[in-house]
Amino acid sequence: MIDELMAQFLIEGRELVAGAERDLSILLRRPNDAAALDGCFRAIHTLKGSTGLFDLAPMGLMLHAAEDLLTLLRTERTGGAEDFEALLSVVDRVDSWLDALDRTGLLPPDAKQVGDAEERRLQVLVGGAESSPAAPTPASNGWRPPVEFNALGGLALRYTPRADSYFSGDDPIAIVAAAPGITGMRVSAREPWGALDDYDPYACNLVIEAVSSADRAAVEAAFRFVADQVDVVELATAEPVARIEGEGARRTLRIDAERVDRLADLADDLVIAKNGLLELAAQAEALPGGQALSQALRGRQAQLDRLVGDLHATVGKVRLAPLGPLFSRFPRLVREIARSLDKAVVLETTGGDVEVDKAIVDGLFEPLLHVLRNALDHGVETADARRAAGKPDVSTVRLSARTEADQVVIEVSDDGAGVDPARVRDVAVRRGVLSRWAADALDDRAAVDLVFTPGFSTAAEVSAVSGRGVGMDVVRAAATTLGGRVAIDSLSGRGATVRFILPVTMVLTKVMIVSCGAERYGLALDSVVETTRVSVDRIVPVRAGRAFLLRDQVAPLVSLGALVGATTFEDKAFERVVVARVQGELIGFGVDAIVDRMDAAVRPMTGLLAGAPGVVGTTLLPDGAVLMILDLAELII
Amino acid sequence: MTVVRDGDVVRLVGLCRVEDAEPLTALLQGFSHSTLDVSACEGLHAAVLQAILAFGPPIVGSPGDAFLRDRLLPAIAGERQTRAPKL
Repeated sequence: MIDELMAQFLIEGRELVAGAERDLSILLRRPNDAAALDGCFRAIHTLKGSTGLFDLAPMGLMLHAAEDLLTLLRTERTGGAEDFEALLSVVDRVDSWLDALDRTGLLPPDAKQVGDAEERRLQVLVGGAESSPAAPTPASNGWRPPVEFNALGGLALRYTPRADSYFSGDDPIAIVAAAPGITGMRVSAREPWGALDDYDPYACNLVIEAVSSADRAAVEAAFRFVADQVDVVELATAEPVARIEGEGARRTLRIDAERVDRLADLADDLVIAKNGLLELAAQAEALPGGQALSQALRGRQAQLDRLVGDLHATVGKVRLAPLGPLFSRFPRLVREIARSLDKAVVLETTGGDVEVDKAIVDGLFEPLLHVLRNALDHGVETADARRAAGKPDVSTVRLSARTEADQVVIEVSDDGAGVDPARVRDVAVRRGVLSRWAADALDDRAAVDLVFTPGFSTAAEVSAVSGRGVGMDVVRAAATTLGGRVAIDSLSGRGATVRFILPVTMVLTKVMIVSCGAERYGLALDSVVETTRVSVDRIVPVRAGRAFLLRDQVAPLVSLGALVGATTFEDKAFERVVVARVQGELIGFGVDAIVDRMDAAVRPMTGLLAGAPGVVGTTLLPDGAVLMILDLAELII
Repeated sequence: MTVVRDGDVVRLVGLCRVEDAEPLTALLQGFSHSTLDVSACEGLHAAVLQAILAFGPPIVGSPGDAFLRDRLLPAIAGERQTRAPKL
């Protein structure tokens, strides 16, 4: 129960932090923006309310002080930069504590002192006065009806019964039920419940919000005995998308990710079950008089094929999640990194509403963080260097996402010094990544791309920020695992852009099944160029290897069985050859037989086998056997 | 007697009044895995509703009373969902 609550709190907490951060960045520019002020207040207030469910006193107290300051800014004075910076600092603090809660389930050990310090800083801004204890009945002003009421129209009312209502014989629910024309209603707790062991069933702790379509006089009459506890607000009728974000208006459903994963797995298995029908049709065809049955089976299979394809695509869409929550984790981390490097950096994020497969959202945090760290550490110059180059002191780093056809493009761009191709060449040669001759033969673009090579790191000295032993090669590996690619564009002196191009959804891969001895293996069909039969006398030995003539071209021939360590049949008159394009070159792979082609949902290798070289993933065959899908390029190198 | 415990199920029967809040609270505190059956419920006092809101037991059954079924239970369902999903 607590774990579920905590998981929920972590999700919502991050959303609220992101909302507050967004509003505060608006307020830093426009201190009087009422919508941002209200939004920030709501976020802080909700966060504070949630902390009551857990043992998070330091967070609660700090947020309470923040709420006091925001109340003051909403009613009495215009906020200055120092107010909003103090609030931003609180929000950052909450964000980092949420990370700690996620990792360890506890606040960091210094939370009490840190929280106290933040609280004092806020109290000074409020005016040094002791924060006044909350009045028994919260002030009526400043209430905004829930967004979902906007669609209903009419009168919105909030009824906050006094704590002793039950003793005085009131039944607040009955009072609302008796009001005319109620079209919508929401009941919530006025204060957090606290420890349920001490729950007092007779202390009223409710807030009832409702919408009535009746006229004001009739509504007020219904509440005449409790008029002091009721706020009434006229709802704007047919307000066309009042909120810019429009999140409240979206019809969404929050589903446990595991269930969606299970659904996706089932849809994958259905694809395989469907392929089994085809085999059955072939068997039926071989029976005497089985032609008609086989035809019918194939017809059904084609129909099933369409439906399963549709189902698979739909499940893929269910798994789509917006990038926003992921992006919202970076502003604080970037501020922290910038502070530790003593550089001034602003992170701008756009495209948080772009949706991609959940697995991609989950897999992008580490690579993006790494790229951002690199941009700050190696790309962005110190303030002095920037001034000398005629750039503004504060550097802008942009994190953006957009969809292009069925792909999503995620870019991290900075306005720093860019990547110097000459220096990259030098370092790569020094580190033994490639020879001087090969390095000089590369054009600038290809040279810059060397930063993704394993064993490369341009930092003259390994800094605490970019870390040791982890290079951009890890970023490229992560992008490949997610079914995409990553590249870097650099303009010397003007900055660099790291661009991820990723699939929006995980897709079915067309696989060719081949056999080597008793084993079967899958090859991704998009790398296969053609299949051919080569008679043994046309295969010529070339030094240690073999080659064959493919039309006018000599192509190397390797035995797939030898590559993967399987036994193959040796004495044959001709060899079955799968010709594949590996890094631009045609290479023949000798196999014993080409068994089949199928559409398969390839699952990446996990656990101990995740790093197995040469294997992209696995899929299940119709007969239940596991088929390994090979990465031909990796096998050769 | 309008709050009845039957194994893991707590049944609310008829009109639940303010005095039912205390036994319901005791049951929900003592048997935290209880499911609440509201199919025979005809009305809820705010204090009883508040206990349901605070303890958040899974609710089953569809009561006959229209206000209860169409307004009140959905009104607390939204609040419960934002706090803790019951799986």
